[in-house]
Amino acid sequence: MASLEPSVSINDKTFNIMKQAIVIIAECRSGNPSPVTYELMTLAEKIRQAHPMSVKAVVLGDEVEKASQEIAEATGASVLGIQNPHLKYYSGELYKDLLHQCLPGMNPAFVLVSQTTQGMDFAPGLAVRLGASSITGVNGVSWDGNNLCFSRDAYNGKIVLEILPLMEATVLTVQPGAFKAMKPETTATPEPVEIRLSTAESRNTRSLGIIRCEQKDASLAEADVLVAAGRGIGSRENVALIEQLATLFPRSAVAGSRPVCDSGWLEYKKQVGLTGATVSPGLYVACGISGAMAHRVGMQGSGFIVAISTDPNAAIFNIADVCICEDLTTFIPLFIEECKRKKKGPV
Amino acid sequence: MKILVCIKQVPDPEMPVRVDEQGRVVRPEGDLKYWMNRADEFAVEEAILIKEAGFGTTVDGLTVGPEHAAQVLERAMGMGADNGVHILLQEEDFLSPLNTASYIAAYALNKGYDLILTGVMGEDHMQGQVGAMLAELLGFPCATSVIFERIRDERGAVYVEREIEGGLRAALELDLPAVLTVQTGINKPRYPTLSNLLRAKKQKALVVESHILGAAKDREKVVRACYPGKSRAGLMLEGCGKDKAVRLLEILEKEALLFCGQQRE
Ligand SMILES: Cc1cc2nc3c(=O)[nH]c(=O)nc-3n(C[C@H](O)[C@H](O)[C@H](O)COP(=O)(O)OP(=O)(O)OC[C@H]3O[C@@H](n4cnc5c(N)ncnc54)[C@H](O)[C@@H]3O)c2cc1C
Ligand SMILES: Nc1ncnc2c1ncn2[C@@H]1O[C@H](COP(=O)(O)O)[C@@H](O)[C@H]1O
Repeated sequence: MASLEPSVSINDKTFNIMKQAIVIIAECRSGNPSPVTYELMTLAEKIRQAHPMSVKAVVLGDEVEKASQEIAEATGASVLGIQNPHLKYYSGELYKDLLHQCLPGMNPAFVLVSQTTQGMDFAPGLAVRLGASSITGVNGVSWDGNNLCFSRDAYNGKIVLEILPLMEATVLTVQPGAFKAMKPETTATPEPVEIRLSTAESRNTRSLGIIRCEQKDASLAEADVLVAAGRGIGSRENVALIEQLATLFPRSAVAGSRPVCDSGWLEYKKQVGLTGATVSPGLYVACGISGAMAHRVGMQGSGFIVAISTDPNAAIFNIADVCICEDLTTFIPLFIEECKRKKKGPV
Repeated sequence: MKILVCIKQVPDPEMPVRVDEQGRVVRPEGDLKYWMNRADEFAVEEAILIKEAGFGTTVDGLTVGPEHAAQVLERAMGMGADNGVHILLQEEDFLSPLNTASYIAAYALNKGYDLILTGVMGEDHMQGQVGAMLAELLGFPCATSVIFERIRDERGAVYVEREIEGGLRAALELDLPAVLTVQTGINKPRYPTLSNLLRAKKQKALVVESHILGAAKDREKVVRACYPGKSRAGLMLEGCGKDKAVRLLEILEKEALLFCGQQRE
């Protein structure tokens, strides 16, 4: 229900170990659990080391049996599948309604959701409805014997904030890739899966299906070397500089961060990151890219990373092999010059 | 149609930000520059585009922030918003997304807004929560990461496409009133015009003291800030630009990552 005042007051957080649970909201693609679901299990395990609690999973969809069974077998968690014919496509409204119905009965101290475009859509609203704390973009957890804190990036990844939830229940959205997926626990005897049938419909939203719009750019996947332009290139004209740098490398291609594609300096299919391509070339040269999580998830698997930024504290430097704190408009010409000189010189 | 656009003022991300010994986020003394959160520029532009398409639309820009936040309302009006609403905070403090959303909801309640637009995420704290929470507080349907929208006036609804992973979009229709969080790239935000800016200066935003609206209790607390760890060597090259160029070339050759001899033309 809509309410302007949080209904639960600040709590001293004395957890009832017997009753409370960590509840994972599984994410599925075409009826199969996505890898992020198992990453949530890893975080659940870490929380359990501080507060031993049972772990439960909820699977929502129009066809949930297979995924529920798979999660139960892989993790030993007790699984509740909610099957609803109107969930052929994700619906934020229906997710919030159905979860709000089933969660209170499960006594969740923590509700774990993946920080995907789906999780981000329903988690904050669900937290409001449950009167819960809400922390997004979680990529770490710490326990000092008293407090369980969750860390998240701020300021384009330059700073990490540690956040203490104050309510009895907390909804967390968890950064994909931040926790390694738990190795399926083959020894655990799975608890029986419970499937509930629901025919509830959403009142104010109608899902109309999925549209495929961007063609993938094969050149990004095939390239050995990617030279990527970020907002730091400053203008469309400087794309030429990035292209020049790329021609120094065989089997190379030019890529970009989201703002560069948003401004139309590069085509959308050149975008690397959460909502673009995931790449892992032998060499990734990040030019004028700050290294926000949404970009990093797309390129952090690259073999060797060189980063050029004017900001000595740019987050991209934390995941780079070589860091160059320079203005790219002067550095790249210097580097090209140096390559040419060396090529001409005695071998 | 009545549209409300929520606009956050954020510190210029290029300004240094540090952590002190107490684990607090600190900004160096001196001139802190602020600007409109970039995702919100797209939200304002989208509202103006709807206004230009007709529907007898008025656009209100709203910000929750201290005195200096008024600047983003001027910019929004410079872009073509009709009115500015400033929910004035007395202090610079970090505001939780629920607090922000509660202030906006308390103001917007019963004002007859058909559509509320927010940005997908604030650049400073990167929470991506205010829009979705606001929808919940008002009991409106909500779509996040919106990359396309069309008003279906005759049906009292809005058609939207949400950007999801893997180059896909989810299409849906929401009954109005609704909240949309706007993804960057949905349009090309315009620059404010001089005539609009002059009007904005004269017109002044409506100021509402935040305490009149009543704050929500905090549900989480930032206990400390720190620097992120490194996942790779992060060798910082030293010297002048030329030294670094020479050194980078050496490293790439050693790693067999650069083949100057086979350079393409
Ligand atoms: C739902 C969602 C999905 C997203 N998906 C993606 C995605 O798929 N891919 C993506 O990239 N982003 C994505 N983003 C955006 C992401 O959060 C960041 O805003 C974005 O990655 C920042 O791009 P950037 O690093 O190019 O720009 P900025 O963060 O502005 O960084 C620019 C950098 O260049 C430096 N610089 C400035 N001038 C110079 C110069 N002359 N020489 C050298 N360096 C200079 C600056 O110091 C800074 O470090 C997404 C965001 C959301 C909310
Ligand atoms: N202080 C604020 N004033 C007005 N709108 C805000 C404020 N904070 C956040 N918003 C809106 O909510 C969106 C998401 O912000 P956040 O949840 O902080 O990432 C922003 O893009 C704004 O549209």
